[in-house]
Order: sequence, then structure tokens, then C-alpha cells
Amino acid sequence: MVVVTTERVKPRRLPGVEGVWVFIGADSVIFAILFLTFMQDRLKDPALFEASRHTLNMNLGGIDTLILLTSSWSVALAIQALKRDLIDRVPRYLFGGVLTGLMFVVSKSIEYFHKFAHGLTPGTNPFYMWYFTLTGIHLAHVLLGTSLLTFLWIRSRRGAYSRSHREVPESVASFWHLVDLLWIVLFPLLYLMKAA
Amino acid sequence: MSVWRERVTWVWLGLVVLTCVTTWGLTKEMFRPAVAVVGIFLIAAVKVRYVMLDFMELRNAPIPVRAVFEAWPFVVAAVILGFWFATPAIA
Amino acid sequence: MAIHAEPGTAAPARELSPYPTDYTSWKVMAWMGPVFLVAFFCLWGLLARNISPFPAWAEPQAVWDHYKNLRLPIMIGMSVCLTLTACYMVWSVAVSRVMERIEGAGGLWSKMEMLGGTITCAPIMTACAIWLTAAHEIDNITPGMAHTLYWFGWLLIDLAYFVTSWQIAGASIVFMRDKREKKLVPNIVGWWGWITILSFFVVSAIPFVYTGPLAFNGVISFWIAFFTWFFWIPGLSYFIIKAIPRLQAEDAAAGRFNDS
Repeated sequence: MVVVTTERVKPRRLPGVEGVWVFIGADSVIFAILFLTFMQDRLKDPALFEASRHTLNMNLGGIDTLILLTSSWSVALAIQALKRDLIDRVPRYLFGGVLTGLMFVVSKSIEYFHKFAHGLTPGTNPFYMWYFTLTGIHLAHVLLGTSLLTFLWIRSRRGAYSRSHREVPESVASFWHLVDLLWIVLFPLLYLMKAA
Repeated sequence: MSVWRERVTWVWLGLVVLTCVTTWGLTKEMFRPAVAVVGIFLIAAVKVRYVMLDFMELRNAPIPVRAVFEAWPFVVAAVILGFWFATPAIA
Repeated sequence: MAIHAEPGTAAPARELSPYPTDYTSWKVMAWMGPVFLVAFFCLWGLLARNISPFPAWAEPQAVWDHYKNLRLPIMIGMSVCLTLTACYMVWSVAVSRVMERIEGAGGLWSKMEMLGGTITCAPIMTACAIWLTAAHEIDNITPGMAHTLYWFGWLLIDLAYFVTSWQIAGASIVFMRDKREKKLVPNIVGWWGWITILSFFVVSAIPFVYTGPLAFNGVISFWIAFFTWFFWIPGLSYFIIKAIPRLQAEDAAAGRFNDS
């Protein structure tokens, strides 16, 4: 008896190169450790942390979240277009990612500048040490991600990527989504978490 | 490919709504701190989960990998909330 | 030029590519990686109480008291650790030789790895000597001097990270270039190497902060930066130790013999 299957089984896979998932995994664990340590330090002086939290601009932080979510969406659309070999649409979605990435950098820079202008630095108190360290390391990730997206955008305009050549864009996209999801936790942790 | 029919677009819209709820809704004075904080972090965990499943495409990833990553936002939220409840209230 | 004799002939061939290989010494050297790690962890980390380190914000008198109270364990820990740090140099030679089998004899990154691993020993040994001296001389020095020596050691051992970065980079680059179907060292070790390198950079903050995650005893500058490296050493060692018999078998299959 011959069994003919008409179902196309899509094998389970991780997008991009395996190494980027080692990065994503390690980064996630490292940030989880940092969140834990932040909460540990907060336990020692909740009043100080609460008072310092009030100096942060919640609206700006919320807008930053929307910016990064939109950026992730744009990059995700680029990958969807790549999967369907819609090569001409890929560059504009990647550019959307670049633009929103840059918007985040500008927003953060303004926020930092504002803090420095008010004499608030990492050395001011433990909360600010954490605020600058966590958002600073995250910002380094945003800068790296935006640079990589820019590189992708330039290459995509020359048709370097397609359905069968999408490992590099998928890897960068996965990293970019990590950057987005880290901020999704960072933002409430620093800006929204009110004390009991 | 119509952008508005893509799954990622609907996920994005949902995430935007949830962001507005947490940033400009749950932070209002009418919510007790415990309610606000638990709500905010549970929503954050759900947001992370959707970014992982639909943006990062972990929905189609090997099950063990997906399971570990899916656990992350909830473990992180649980630890954060655990510490929050263990932290004394301020005067 | 390689001369290959038929296996089993009366006079076995001496010529090898690239030069005669002492597989036994090679394996002994490869094991020096785990030896170093165990020594460093137990002597520097546990006995001399650096896991976790006495805080960066400690006042001079507190540092002096620390060295006075723990004088003997610190002296034993630091002196033996100083000596055994040489094992890291030995290990890096073994790693380099495996790299050369991928990169080619005298390869750039293979040399970089060996130099990086060897030079890494210098700040570690010198920092151990500084802390050993602080303990040894505690009754002759002031709290201010104790504090100075404490910081001297930490600044040295931490800020020289970039030497180790290049060692790790070399290993990551070459092992990922391996064209064997089953690589001698799997990519994940290479990727972990890059994570280790990235985790080192924030340590440059230590002169400027005394508390929080970036202080030399903080969660980022100590726990993350050191432990990424602590995982890289045994991770790579495992595959290096396994690679040597594989390379020996490859040599034998190609008719390359030596008389060791």
C-alpha cells in the first residue's frame, strides 16, 4: 500500500544562525540577574528608590516603548516580506526599523541630557546607578541593533537577501526583538513600579 | 502581502494597547499599588510572550527552546513581584 | 615537503605536517586549563575570600582588618595561586596548537591566542603578589596602604581584560572556521567566547564606582564578567582535550607518524 501525504509538514526551526540564539539566551539570563539584583538593592531603601523614580519621565518612557514596539513590527514585516520573496518591499520595512531605532536613541539622549543638566548622575544614589547602568547597557544594545539594521537596509537595497538567503536578516531581527522585549520589562521596573 | 492582514500587525496593535493600559491606565492613583504593580508586570510578561512567539517566531521553534523562552517572562515577573511584596511599605 | 611511508614498513616516516607532534605533552598541556580554573577558583576565590570580593566601598581600616584577620588563608591562597596561574599559559599553548591545525602552521590568530593567554597570566600573578604582600606585611603597613594595595590589585587584574579578550577572540574566530563536518570545537563555545568578551567591557567602570552593579565586587563587573570567563575555560578545555586524539587519528589515517 502506498501512503501519499498531501500535508506539507513545516519543520520546527529557530530563525537565523544558531549563535544569535546563544546570545539571546545569555543576554536574557544576564538581564534577569540584573533585574533580581536591582530588586534586592531596592529592598534596602524603598523610599529612596520611590523618590528617585518620581524624577523619571513616565510619558517619555511610555513613548519609548511604543517606538521600540513599532520598530520590532517593522522589522518583523521585513522578514515576512523576505519569506515571500517580495524583495522590493524589504528595504522600506528595514528602514522603518532603522528610523525608529534612531528615534529611541535620540529620545534617550534627551532624557540623559535632562538628567545631567539637573545634576543627576550614576553617582547620585543607588537608584540612579541602576537607572543609568540598565538603560545604558540597553542603549548600547539599541545602538548595535540599529547599526546592524542599517547594514541590512543598505544590503537589501542591492538585493542581497531573499527567501533562500535570509539567515543574516533573521538573525539581526531576532536580536532586535530581544532589545524590544528587554525594554518591555525595564520600563515598568524603573519608571512605573510604585512603592507599597 | 497586505500589512493589515499580517499576524504581526495585529500583535503590534495589541501590544500598543497594552502599553497604553499599563503606562497611562494602571498608573493612575485610583489603583492600589499592589493592584497596579501586579497588573503592570503580568501585562509586561504577556507582552514579552507575544514578542517572543510572533515577532521572534518562537511559535515555530523546537518545543524545548520555546518552552524555556516562554518561561522567562513569567519567571522574571514572579521574581520581581516576589521582591516587591517582600519590600516594606514606605511611610 | 611531506614524505609518507606505507604503514607497517620497517622504517616509519618521520616527516609530518607541519612538524613532529608530541600528542602526550599536548594532552597534558590541554588539561592545564581545568587545573588552572580549579586552582584559581579554590585558592583565589574561596580560600582568599574573593568570591565574593571584599567590597569596593570598604574604608581603609576595614580593609586592614580584613587582611589582619585572614592573613594566613590569604597568604596560602595568593601564593599558591600565583604559582599555579602559569597553567593558564600552558593551556593556551595547547589551544593554539589545535587552532593551527585549522588556520595553518604559524597562523595569526593562533599566535594571538597563545600570546593573549600567556600575557593574561601577568596581571593575575602580579595582583596575587600585591595581595599576598598586603597580607604578609600587614603589621608593617597603615590602613591607607592596605586600602591602596587592595585597589592596586583589583585595578590591575580587572582592567587588563582586553589581553584576554584577544585570546578569546582568536579562539572563537578560528574554531568557527573549522571545515570539518563535526567541528573540533562546536560553535556554541565560540559564541560563548564572544559573550565573554562583551561582558568584559563594562569592567572599565570600576575606577569610578564604589557601589552597585559596576563596582569591582558588583553583579556585572564581578559575577557576570568573571563567571562568563569561568564557563569559557572548561567549556573550551573539554573540546580541546577531545580534539587531540581526533587529530592524532587524522594524522595516522593520512600516514603521518612520529616516534613519540
